[in-house]
Amino acid sequence: MPESIVGQSVGRVDARAKVTGAAQFPGDLVLPGMLHGKILFAGRPHARVLGVDAAAALAVPGVVAVLTAADVPVNEYGLQTADQPVLCGPGSSRPGADVVRWEGDHVAVVVAESAEAAARGRDLVRVEYEGLPLLTDPFAALEPGALLLHPHKPASEIHPELNVPGNLLSHHQLRKGDVAAAWAEADVIVEAEYRTPSQEHAYLQPEAGLAYIDEEGRVTVAVAGQWTWEDQRQIAHALDVPPEAVRVIYPAIGGAFGGREDMSLQIVLALAAWKLRRPVKIIWSRQESIVGHCKRHPMWFQCRWGARRDGKLVAAQVRVVADGGAYCYTTNKVLGNTTVTCTGPYEIPNVWVDVDGVYTNNPPFGAFRGFGAPQGIFAAEMQMNKLARALGMDPVEVRLKNLLRDESLTAMGTPLPGGVSLVEVTARCAEAAGWRKTLSGWARPLCPPRPETPHLRRGIGLAVALKNIGFSFGYQENCWAKIELQGEREIERATVYLGAAEVGQGSHTAIQQMAAEALGLRREYVQLVMSDTATSPGSSGSVSASRMTFMAGNAVRGAAESALRLWQAEERPAVAEYVYLAPPTTPFDPETGHGVPNFAYGYVAEAVEVEVDVETGELHLLRVVCANDVGKAVNPRMVEGQIEGGIAQAVGWAVMENLVTEGGRVRSDRLSTYLIPSALDVPGQIDAVIVEHPDPRGPWGVRGMGEMPFIPLAPALVAAVHDATGIWFDELPLTPERIVSGLTGKGTETRRP
Amino acid sequence: MLARPGLVSFDYVRARTPGEVVQLLAEHGADARLMMGGTDLLVRIRDGAVRPRLVVDLKHLPGMRDILYQQQAGLTVGAAVTMNQLARHPAVVAHYPLLAQAANSVASYPLRNRATIGGNLCNASPCADTAPPSYVLAGRIVVHGSAGEQEVAIADFFRGPGQTVLQPGQFVTAIRFPPSPAAASGRYLKLGRNKAGDLAIVSVAVLGFPDASAPSGYRFRIALGAVAPVVLRVPAAEEWLAHHPPGAETFARAADLAAAAASPIDDVRASADYRRAMVRTLTRRGLNAVADTIAAPTGSA
Ligand SMILES: Cc1cc2nc3c(=O)[nH]c(=O)nc-3n(C[C@H](O)[C@H](O)[C@H](O)COP(=O)(O)OP(=O)(O)OC[C@H]3O[C@@H](n4cnc5c(N)ncnc54)[C@H](O)[C@@H]3O)c2cc1C
Repeated sequence: MPESIVGQSVGRVDARAKVTGAAQFPGDLVLPGMLHGKILFAGRPHARVLGVDAAAALAVPGVVAVLTAADVPVNEYGLQTADQPVLCGPGSSRPGADVVRWEGDHVAVVVAESAEAAARGRDLVRVEYEGLPLLTDPFAALEPGALLLHPHKPASEIHPELNVPGNLLSHHQLRKGDVAAAWAEADVIVEAEYRTPSQEHAYLQPEAGLAYIDEEGRVTVAVAGQWTWEDQRQIAHALDVPPEAVRVIYPAIGGAFGGREDMSLQIVLALAAWKLRRPVKIIWSRQESIVGHCKRHPMWFQCRWGARRDGKLVAAQVRVVADGGAYCYTTNKVLGNTTVTCTGPYEIPNVWVDVDGVYTNNPPFGAFRGFGAPQGIFAAEMQMNKLARALGMDPVEVRLKNLLRDESLTAMGTPLPGGVSLVEVTARCAEAAGWRKTLSGWARPLCPPRPETPHLRRGIGLAVALKNIGFSFGYQENCWAKIELQGEREIERATVYLGAAEVGQGSHTAIQQMAAEALGLRREYVQLVMSDTATSPGSSGSVSASRMTFMAGNAVRGAAESALRLWQAEERPAVAEYVYLAPPTTPFDPETGHGVPNFAYGYVAEAVEVEVDVETGELHLLRVVCANDVGKAVNPRMVEGQIEGGIAQAVGWAVMENLVTEGGRVRSDRLSTYLIPSALDVPGQIDAVIVEHPDPRGPWGVRGMGEMPFIPLAPALVAAVHDATGIWFDELPLTPERIVSGLTGKGTETRRP
Repeated sequence: MLARPGLVSFDYVRARTPGEVVQLLAEHGADARLMMGGTDLLVRIRDGAVRPRLVVDLKHLPGMRDILYQQQAGLTVGAAVTMNQLARHPAVVAHYPLLAQAANSVASYPLRNRATIGGNLCNASPCADTAPPSYVLAGRIVVHGSAGEQEVAIADFFRGPGQTVLQPGQFVTAIRFPPSPAAASGRYLKLGRNKAGDLAIVSVAVLGFPDASAPSGYRFRIALGAVAPVVLRVPAAEEWLAHHPPGAETFARAADLAAAAASPIDDVRASADYRRAMVRTLTRRGLNAVADTIAAPTGSA
């Protein structure tokens, strides 16, 4: 057995191709005889399509076809529930599919010999609309008598939380103990409202894809996504063909962050290639991408938490309203996580939580790194930092009194599985950030005033988070893998087949390392065949919810064991498939929310040091310390990369990213109006503290970690700003303008969404 | 309508002589567009905001990329001089540091390798970074047309956002700056929404120098960017500063006057209120910074 490969910072398998430009992204793919498609977006958030007149478009030289709603065999799709039309318009096979509910709804696709002709054709498609009243405020959408956005919504058999009336999209609730009675025990009560904003994924690669009929007659879509098997299933459903008639391939993917969990142009591409029997390519511009895919859920929190003088929490009451936008996307899963996280990583005897997702005519809100946990943890950690102030206790000290341990009961009435390291990550973070352990407990480092620059004030803040790994909530998490061993006396080559998507996070590299380790081979012998439903027909699940390394590692380990056994039995080649099934979980109990919603968790604590220019409101992030329990760092350098990237993205959400909408339409639809952090805006120093507290069920002890570093950044930053200025900011993003108006006592109140 | 990825096709000519430019413009009229670095123009073409058939590249005309400095005549900057060239040129750094600061504040390093001062001014955005310094340094735009060359004072050059006094057939070949007043000190302050690559929400250029003819012994010039349709000079504040002894109180009052003069708008990037408040802050900071480095008049204690 060579030296262990798991745990080494080996180079990435895709580095060379990406650095030299050899890697093929979907937009790079070309086939002879290829046609080009342009999708006509509704451009208005709520209307009934009365008619689509394609005559002028079809008259454009080079235009081959204009496809509309009537061309879609089963005009509906959706990852969680099929509530979205593929193309909106009359003559549709599904009721309600003639209505556009968001400006990015698709009305037609124009296919032509050139992209220019397709664009010209698209601009000439005439659509007759009947305007419908706009619902862009989730609170208004919940009013009795509000116009129903999804009157034909089908009942969901698998997701009971979706079976709710009116414009309610989903409902979750937790009931533990007796909150009403518990307030009497509280010496301090903190009440507040918080508002967290949306966020655009802004991945490097806007949506693009190429669809064609492959040599076996399958309609094939080469595209960037997060779950080949699920894309295949949804495309097949809309085309009304068996899944085997559809093939999905992911070439190089330019980032995803959850934004490719739900589909964008996949079905339309497949439809065009399937109807026209020619290759069809679509590339979205940045504007189309920003308008055309889902975003992070904006949420509104109403929190009331109570604690005893000694710092022990006695009760937490949290009401959450989340804008779900026009369609479900992953709203129910996202809000499941918000439900779990909105009372923080604490043991609280009395809990009352209500979480509602609401349909509106805003862009659909869906998966984004953290999946509802950044929002939930923001509210919880703001409450905790305020409680620490109100109690006159150090923020670390008050947390240590309440953090969940192995045996503690969560708000779901059950303990957390897999070993709970919250105390350890909190202490490791605090130490690295300069906290001192004194006789009377933890004491935070002081930021002495600097008289020579009175307008620059410094502060430090801390927050702690937990986040589940995997989809769960009753869904049986699974991951398929196949390993083929070739050679005669010695193994000369091992081929690993898996559906996992390499979205830039490095999972292919981690999978190769784990396969090599499981097989006792050097990495060079292990070849990967990934992300193609033709070669990986089983589901490896989504690259999301920090699950891929955990799930794929277990699957590869199982496949490796079987393949090695066959190899010993002289089979050549030795081929073994394996489906790893994660420990089962339960859905939330509809009344109490109790149960075991997840099989694994990751834990993280962050401290932020900030300098605030109190005259301009500019923030300078001087340093972030992140202590993250990853169970086992398969590749420590990639873990650090995830920590740095997650923090940069969280800084964007917390400080600068500002999705401006007006009447449901996105106004900040370019990267010059929707700003993301530049290299100069990320913290000057990021100190990654990698904690390795193995999860007994993770491969080699692995826990997931891709989302964790994002989650506690915002509340830690707000606490640092409070430390610097004495002002709490309950609404993000902390734009200079918001800081200045907060400091001058104007407009610190939280707006309703 | 949503933008299309990729550029539509157009013809491209690299002009060799000014005469060729005049001729091409006469032939093609509004179908032709002038280009230097293309960092504004190509974005607008990609977005479909302009659809030229012909793009005429002026960067390679003789002298367009030269910087000339003479103590008596001052500075002549070719219109195709890039921001990085400007920010690093020894004479600019030594005698017009304000201009170097402004050039250096544009976007990011790679963009500054292409973006030119001429393109920046001809694009006539209210937030163009080289515009406020050009005002306080009394820049003059050298315009070439069929009738030959003429000079236009910077204050007369802009008409409104995206609009200049250039007539069809005219183009800019250089910007001239007279010698800086003796012992002058300048500061360019810019506020964007991030630390690289954003356009100014507010920008302020301040130039100060000793002047015996001013009652206070000093004169200051102040120009504001991004808070009005064109760059604003603030005569009221400049007058106040000429008549009151330099110091925190005088500067605060001048900053108030600057804020009162601004007429900013609300947009996706910032509110009018915030912009106005920042005019005050940046003007005060600019004045203080200039006062910290300005040489005291000879003979003063
Ligand atoms: C990512 C990004 C960030 C940016 N950040 C900033 C910033 O921070 N600050 C800032 O001020 N600007 C910024 N800009 C805008 C732009 O880069 C600058 O205005 C730049 O100086 C323009 O110069 P150019 O040579 O590229 O102009 P071009 O794009 O070549 O030309 C600009 C305009 O002027 C016209 N023109 C060009 N030359 C002449 C001439 N000789 N005579 C007459 N008309 C002419 C063109 O037809 C065009 O309309 C940014 C742009 C981008 C894309």
